[in-house]
Amino acid sequence: MNELLLGLADDELVIGWRDSEWTGIAPLLEEDVAFSSIAQNEIGHARAVYERLTDDADALAFDRSLDEYRCAPLVELRLLDWGRTIARRWLYEVADEIRITALMEDPDVGGLAAKINREEAYHRMHAEMWRERLRDEPRFRDAVTELWPYALGVVLPAQREALAARVALDEVEAVERGSHTDDFAPLWDEMTMVRRSAPVGSQW
Amino acid sequence: MAAVEIPQDEQAFLAYVQAGGQVETADWMPDDYRAKLVKFIEMHGNSELMGVLPEREWILRAPTLQRKLALTAKVQDEVGHAQLIYRVVEDLGKPRERCLADLVDGKAKFHNVFHYPTKTWGDVGVIAWLVDAAAIISQKALLKCSYAPYARIMKKICWEESFHILHGRDVILAMVTGTPAQFELVQEALNRWWGPLMQFHGNPIPKEEDPMYLWRIKSQGNEEARQQFLEGYVPQIWELGLTVPDTKLRRREDGTWEYGEPDWDELMHVVTGHGPKTDERLAFRRRFLDQEQWVRDAVLAA
Repeated sequence: MNELLLGLADDELVIGWRDSEWTGIAPLLEEDVAFSSIAQNEIGHARAVYERLTDDADALAFDRSLDEYRCAPLVELRLLDWGRTIARRWLYEVADEIRITALMEDPDVGGLAAKINREEAYHRMHAEMWRERLRDEPRFRDAVTELWPYALGVVLPAQREALAARVALDEVEAVERGSHTDDFAPLWDEMTMVRRSAPVGSQW
Repeated sequence: MAAVEIPQDEQAFLAYVQAGGQVETADWMPDDYRAKLVKFIEMHGNSELMGVLPEREWILRAPTLQRKLALTAKVQDEVGHAQLIYRVVEDLGKPRERCLADLVDGKAKFHNVFHYPTKTWGDVGVIAWLVDAAAIISQKALLKCSYAPYARIMKKICWEESFHILHGRDVILAMVTGTPAQFELVQEALNRWWGPLMQFHGNPIPKEEDPMYLWRIKSQGNEEARQQFLEGYVPQIWELGLTVPDTKLRRREDGTWEYGEPDWDELMHVVTGHGPKTDERLAFRRRFLDQEQWVRDAVLAA
């Protein structure tokens, strides 16, 4: 269970970091604000889950080595174009809903999962709205095809059939958790650089 | 409420706003007044938006989850302010798309402080604390703006900015009480930012000669604003053990601050689009404005 929760928290942390990359440059000011808001929620979820796993959420979030992160390759990808960003947001939110809904049944973490789920409902509405707008755009459709194997890697193998049905795509071989994409090392380097510049345990 | 009669003649209108009168969007106003409003408010909107870029890369480098959340929220507020402010400009006749296009084409100005690099996490603290403190002094002087819609949104903006200052002070406090190297990051950042901060409120022209004051778009002169900044923040800076890089800085018996002459040539050079980061930041915005044009087209076509 802890392994599963760590993967969930790392996903939320890293996608929160990636969504922040649109700050100041989103195609509409409204989306700049929306992406900041979503990023804050995702980071907040990561923190809430880390706090279940440890007394020091910051240490868990920042002080691990690269290969100790359990995030899915989908969230690691650096996608600074709107078509792929929205394709990821949509696929991720659908996958995340399946995973969170399953966790809501768990006696230990059900309450936390339900709390996270309440906020995710807004992210899903946002993602669905964009998917509706872009669904006929070739850039968006290509992006969905490209990212689909990665999206499958977000959920457990037993949940993949449900995910495929929800997004109306055929199941393919998933890009699994456990190894990292080339995009992750530069992100890790950036997200930890200030923190690493002072001795461990320093206050910031 | 009885409708206030807005004088429909330039001299009478001037007397009206100088007596504290306010106007609404649909009211008659002199062309010169409208043009000054657009110029002033558009620059404010541009500054909120360009103010995001010095901080954006540091959102990705924030050293704790709490700092990451606070900085993201702060920057989100700033984009939200830009959104509100551009709406005011739009009501005065200039659409947001044109403001954004003029901005990336280098035809419109934004505040001097947003033309400089953000070198370290120390700069992030100094920006959030002192740049925002300087900005809030200017913005509070707009709460009484003769153009009522602008004055109204300034209430929300000032309220949010006051939280940014708290966040900034907290970042600074953590560092000055941290390791000597962390303290040094703050001192170095303060050294870098002091010049631009002293230039921030503009040259000390008498307020009676400032057209923005004349029309009561703003309610205080440049030097008044700078004095308020010094009075409010220099003692706090000193209290933290930091050194202000100005050997002439002192508070006179009568409460007036003396300081070394700010570099007004630098200010002029920077705000006319020649700051160290001006081109790079505008090019960055332009790149994404162009790259994502298809998204706006798709949204508008729907």
